[in-house]
Amino acid sequence: MAETDIVIEICGSSGEGTISAGEILARHMSRLGFEILSFDSYPSEIRGFGKCVAHCRISSKKIMSPGKYTDILIALNDIHSISQLSSMKENGIIIYDSNPLSFHEEDKSIAGWIEPGITAYGIPFYKLSQKAAGNSRNRNIVALGAFAALFGINDNGFKASMEQRYASKKKSIIESNLNSFTEGFRWTKNNITKLDNLFFKKPETGNAPLKRLMMNGNQAVAMGALDSNLHLYAGYPITPATKIMEILARELPKKGGIMIQTEDELSAIGHVIGAGFAGKRAMTATSGPGFSLMTELSGLSVMAEVPAVIVNSQRGGPSTGLPTKTEQSDLNLALAGGSGDSRRIILAPADVEECYKCACLAFYLAEKFQTLVVILLDFFLSNSIKNIKEPEKPDKKMLNANLAPLQDEIKDYKRFKVTLNGISPRSIPGTAGGMFIATGLEHNEKGKPCYAAETHKKMSDKRYRKLSGVLKEVPHPEWIGPKKNIKAGILTWGSTAGAAHEATLKAGESGIRAAFMRPMLISPLPVEQIKKFSDQCDVLLVPELNYEGQFAGYIAKYLERPIKRLNMVTGLPMSAEDILDEICKIAG
Amino acid sequence: MQKKDHYVIIGNGPAGNRASEIFRENDKNARVTIISDEGFPFYYRHKLLDFLSGSISDESLQVKKHLDYKKNNIRLRLGQTVTKIDPANRVLFLKHMEKIEYTSLILATGGTRSILPSLAGFEKYFSFMTNYNEALALKPALSGIKKAIVIGGDLISIKFIKMLINMGKDVSFFLCKEGFWPIELTEKMSENIASRMKKEEIKTILDDYPVNIFQTNAGYEIITENGEKIKGDIIFYFMGLKPDIDFIKGSGIDTAEGVLVDEYLKTNYKNIYACGDCAQIYNPEFKDYWISTGWDNATLQGETAALNLLGEHKIIKPVPHKIFEVEGIKVNTSWWKEIQE
Repeated sequence: MAETDIVIEICGSSGEGTISAGEILARHMSRLGFEILSFDSYPSEIRGFGKCVAHCRISSKKIMSPGKYTDILIALNDIHSISQLSSMKENGIIIYDSNPLSFHEEDKSIAGWIEPGITAYGIPFYKLSQKAAGNSRNRNIVALGAFAALFGINDNGFKASMEQRYASKKKSIIESNLNSFTEGFRWTKNNITKLDNLFFKKPETGNAPLKRLMMNGNQAVAMGALDSNLHLYAGYPITPATKIMEILARELPKKGGIMIQTEDELSAIGHVIGAGFAGKRAMTATSGPGFSLMTELSGLSVMAEVPAVIVNSQRGGPSTGLPTKTEQSDLNLALAGGSGDSRRIILAPADVEECYKCACLAFYLAEKFQTLVVILLDFFLSNSIKNIKEPEKPDKKMLNANLAPLQDEIKDYKRFKVTLNGISPRSIPGTAGGMFIATGLEHNEKGKPCYAAETHKKMSDKRYRKLSGVLKEVPHPEWIGPKKNIKAGILTWGSTAGAAHEATLKAGESGIRAAFMRPMLISPLPVEQIKKFSDQCDVLLVPELNYEGQFAGYIAKYLERPIKRLNMVTGLPMSAEDILDEICKIAG
Repeated sequence: MQKKDHYVIIGNGPAGNRASEIFRENDKNARVTIISDEGFPFYYRHKLLDFLSGSISDESLQVKKHLDYKKNNIRLRLGQTVTKIDPANRVLFLKHMEKIEYTSLILATGGTRSILPSLAGFEKYFSFMTNYNEALALKPALSGIKKAIVIGGDLISIKFIKMLINMGKDVSFFLCKEGFWPIELTEKMSENIASRMKKEEIKTILDDYPVNIFQTNAGYEIITENGEKIKGDIIFYFMGLKPDIDFIKGSGIDTAEGVLVDEYLKTNYKNIYACGDCAQIYNPEFKDYWISTGWDNATLQGETAALNLLGEHKIIKPVPHKIFEVEGIKVNTSWWKEIQE
């Protein structure tokens, strides 16, 4: 049976229900057993007339990237949708409103731009919504009904998914939505002759319904934090990280934890370090502008060796930049933000599953290595929704990683004792005899401020030495593709990894010797594995979403070889096609 | 800034395409737009039967590719239907709810299927072959047909029947002389056609006429005026073409059978011209209107209409009455001559 791999975009204006229609669609297709990866883009203004796009890739096989070209475009707003036509496949399908309230001016109607090869279905969204709901607000749901009718999706099953989605709403709202769906479905069945050959072939899932969790990167991080016994979340809202705060505001108190909305980001990181000092697991989440503010106090976490977790969901920058556009341009800040030699642990998940894993790992590493851990998400990862298998929860070791002082160590307690692996026994305030001085000043083993050159050298060594142990705690980067004679080696990080992985596989299918590696641990960098990989590559390509190639610059000092950079700052995630084009150029 | 001239042509056949070329050649800066309700690019209509039989691909059917228009900076709007013209304000209204302003307009909508009023009530039972979409829809069904009924006629129907016979189908042919197109058949002509068809072992019904049609489990059944019952899997209907001008009626542009134009192809609006099969052209000599058919005539008229809109004064002369060319069909011409003799 041919595999299903379809990219759908719903495009509308703010307030037209574009994102919620995308969510309903994704959830239902997930229930049917498909793999889902969806990603929404929307304007930074809360309400207005900006463009919203719900992008969803639906596949019967594993999805690694959102897919660059659209198979089906559902146009809720003509003007915005016209700008999406350039990313349509040549034989794509458009579903549009054939009977809007008034005539479009010339060139403002999407139907006027339909080119040969594209199949267009005009459905009177507005009229049907009026009929079903008495207003035009349900045009999005009418469109979903039309979509289901066109592509052979059972209407009752779809409606059941909608009922589940709207379960907390008033009965009248549920009915109005169901009626709107039915109107769209029936009208399309009765009036439209299908001209394309696209159907969703239901994947084989056996008799048991597929158990999947639909979540985005932010939800996965929040879930990971909750499962890791997070006690305090302190934060200041900022796109695209706010969702983490919203979830924890609701869920954390149920588990006895505390969520504090602080007055700013400086206060947020202060709270986190304070809680960490008190022996509680604590976290904050922010984006570039907030992360910039946190750099001063984050150094305290390094110097005072206090566990702290910062989630930085990157967006376009610098400054307030592009709040609702994705970018991977905070790497330099994460690596070196702050004064002094304040090396910290940096984790960069590649997908939603890894967002959960990294959250759990971050608390473990922060506690074990008594330092700051930064998780680098980005707008795309924070907002991309995937249907994932239920993740494995952290075990006892992960939940209790603090190296408490032994009884005999308490007698002459040295909080910052210089040890072989650099990790010193840490007493939690309240531990009898475990008192110590905690300060941002350089200090001796007891914590007493000391500016002697020898002390500073010894303590710097210790703080750096302990981080080498992190390499053993994080899975080695996976090496995909041939192990020798590699024409194009792709090395990337974070959310670009999925597209790079997919591009590498496609290149392999075309006979190109391409291989792929991506470290989840960015700092400390698994240099040994990366070097081995690099040594086998004729050309090393580093795709990433920033202007100057921050990761390429970072690894260059370790690899001492030419690195080919592929940088994009479009505000959108990089696609497998973009990377594949570059691989093909390398392969000649 | 002054707006660029916008030449809009409704119709993507030989007349419309030639007009667009003339506009582009003579005015590099103007906007030129072709609007067609057909979704398929400019194609040889007379090759549709070859496409249906599978002897040519849809690639060979095309005269021009979409890219050719882009190269010439001509905006091609395919699959878009004009529903209304407002000549006073120079605005077109499209079915998908878009307004288009024009400075000059050429109507080159060609012909559409013509149904005899007595059979109009049965239209839903008929299969047609007047455009690409209809041919495309018929293509997969053709192999499953064993017995076909053809109500005709026109010259295409005769070629079509020959194709069905070659494919081993059983064909019954109603020869409707009153609806024959592009000329009315005389008694003698009808007899000649019937006798020729019978020689080819085609059941030709000349003096009987469908009065009722039923859909049955197995297909269709036609009851004739004489009480005969004729069964078939499918009914094909060919009765020529009529000017495709329904959407123009009531707009203020003068129409009768077609769009009424003078010998310069100008309508009663100075910036609107009509050409090809949709135009009814005034002949000052006979003080009457005439409609021409055929590819070459349409091309010439498209050229003339465009040139005249640009300021020339070219006259279209009536085509001699005995030259028949239907959508470029040459194959039947000899046959036709033979019948006439």
